[in-house]
Amino acid sequence: MKRIASIVLTASIVAALGACATTPKGPIEELETARAIVPQVEASPRAGVAAENVSAARQSLERANKMATSGGKVDDIRYAAVVASRNAQIANEKILNVEAKEAVAKGEADRQTVILEARNREADQARERAASLEQELADMKAKKTDRGMVLTLGDVLFDTGKSKLKPSAYATIDRLASTLKESSGRKVQIEGHTDSVGSDELNQVLSQQRADSVAAALMERGVPSAQISASGKGEGFPVASNDTAGGRQQNRRVEMIFTDDASRVASDGT
Amino acid sequence: MGNPIVRRIAVIAGSSALLLLTACGSVSELTKQQVARSETAVTQAQAAVGSSEAGAIELQQAKETLSQAQNAIQTKDETQAQRLAAVAELDAQLAIAKSQSAASRKAADDVLASIETLKREADRSAVTK
Repeated sequence: MKRIASIVLTASIVAALGACATTPKGPIEELETARAIVPQVEASPRAGVAAENVSAARQSLERANKMATSGGKVDDIRYAAVVASRNAQIANEKILNVEAKEAVAKGEADRQTVILEARNREADQARERAASLEQELADMKAKKTDRGMVLTLGDVLFDTGKSKLKPSAYATIDRLASTLKESSGRKVQIEGHTDSVGSDELNQVLSQQRADSVAAALMERGVPSAQISASGKGEGFPVASNDTAGGRQQNRRVEMIFTDDASRVASDGT
Repeated sequence: MGNPIVRRIAVIAGSSALLLLTACGSVSELTKQQVARSETAVTQAQAAVGSSEAGAIELQQAKETLSQAQNAIQTKDETQAQRLAAVAELDAQLAIAKSQSAASRKAADDVLASIETLKREADRSAVTK
C-alpha cells in the first residue's frame, strides 16, 4: 500500500503539468494504480464502514475507464483515476481504523479477564493456606473440644514401653509439621498419656518422653519451638476404662491440642 | 518519483506552464468554494496530524496541491483550480484518516502489550507462591 501511495501522490503534479495531450503514449500510470487498489478495498469484508469513499472510488474509476476506451483526454482520465485512488486509500485507512478499534475493545475485555483470573487465583491460594490446617486436622479426625482441636495419636506410634516414634508415625508427623509451618500463629500443646499398667512414676516419665519425642520430631521438620509445648500427663486422664485391653489401648495416647494466638482455642466460634 | 527535489521541480514547472496558459474568463463561485473547502480540510488535517509521523506526507502533499489550486485561480484556469482543489481536499482527508488509524493501531498495540505484562506478572507470582 505504501508503494501505491507514493505513486498516487505524484499524480496531481502530473495533472498540474497538464498539457493538451489527447493521445496516451502507452498505459496511464494513475489509471493502472486505481484499477489495482479500488477492487482491493471493495473486496474488504469491512468495506461498509467507508461506504461513501468506496462508492466514490468505484464511480471515478468507471468514469476513467470509460474515457480511456472512448479516447478521452489523458488529463481527464488521470484526474478521475487520482480521485478514485485517493478515495480507495481513505477507505482503506478507515477500515484499518475500525479494525484497530475492535482490537482495542477485545483487548480491554481480555485484560479484564486476565486481571480477574489472577485475582481469583490469589484469593484461592490465600483461602487454601488458611484452610489447610483445619483441613489437615479434619482429615486426621481431630475432634473439636472446649480445649481446642484435639488430635489423638494412638499408641500405634510407639512400641510398648518405648518413647521412640515408629517409622509408621512419620507420615502423620510430616503432615502436621508442614501445616504448622504454614500457620505460624498456631500453637500446639502436646500431651502424653498412659494406661494404668505400671507405676505412676514410670507412667509419668514415659508420657513426658513420648510427648517430647513428638515435639522433637516436629522441630526436626522445621516447626519453630515457640509453637510447641510438650507435657506428660501420666495415667491420670483416661478416656476409657483401664479394665479392658481395648480401653487401655485407647488410654495410651498422645494428644495434640491446636490453639491460635487470638482465641487460644482454635475451635472457638466455629 | 518519490524524490522531493524532482517533485518540487515538477511543481515549479507545472505552475509556470499554467502561468503561460493564462486561460480565459473569470473563476466561478463554485470553484472558489471548492478551494475554500480544501483550505478548511488542510487546516483540519494540520490539527489532526500535528507533529506525528502518520499522515505527515499526505498533509504536505495536500498543502502543495492546495497552493497549486490557489495559483490556478490567479491564472483563472477554472478546470485546473477545481481539480487541484478537489485532490487537495482528498489528500487532507487521507492525512486525517491515516493519523486516526495510526493512533488506533497504537492503542491496540498498547493494550496487547499490557496484557502480556499482566500475564507474565501473574505467572511469576503463581510460581513464587
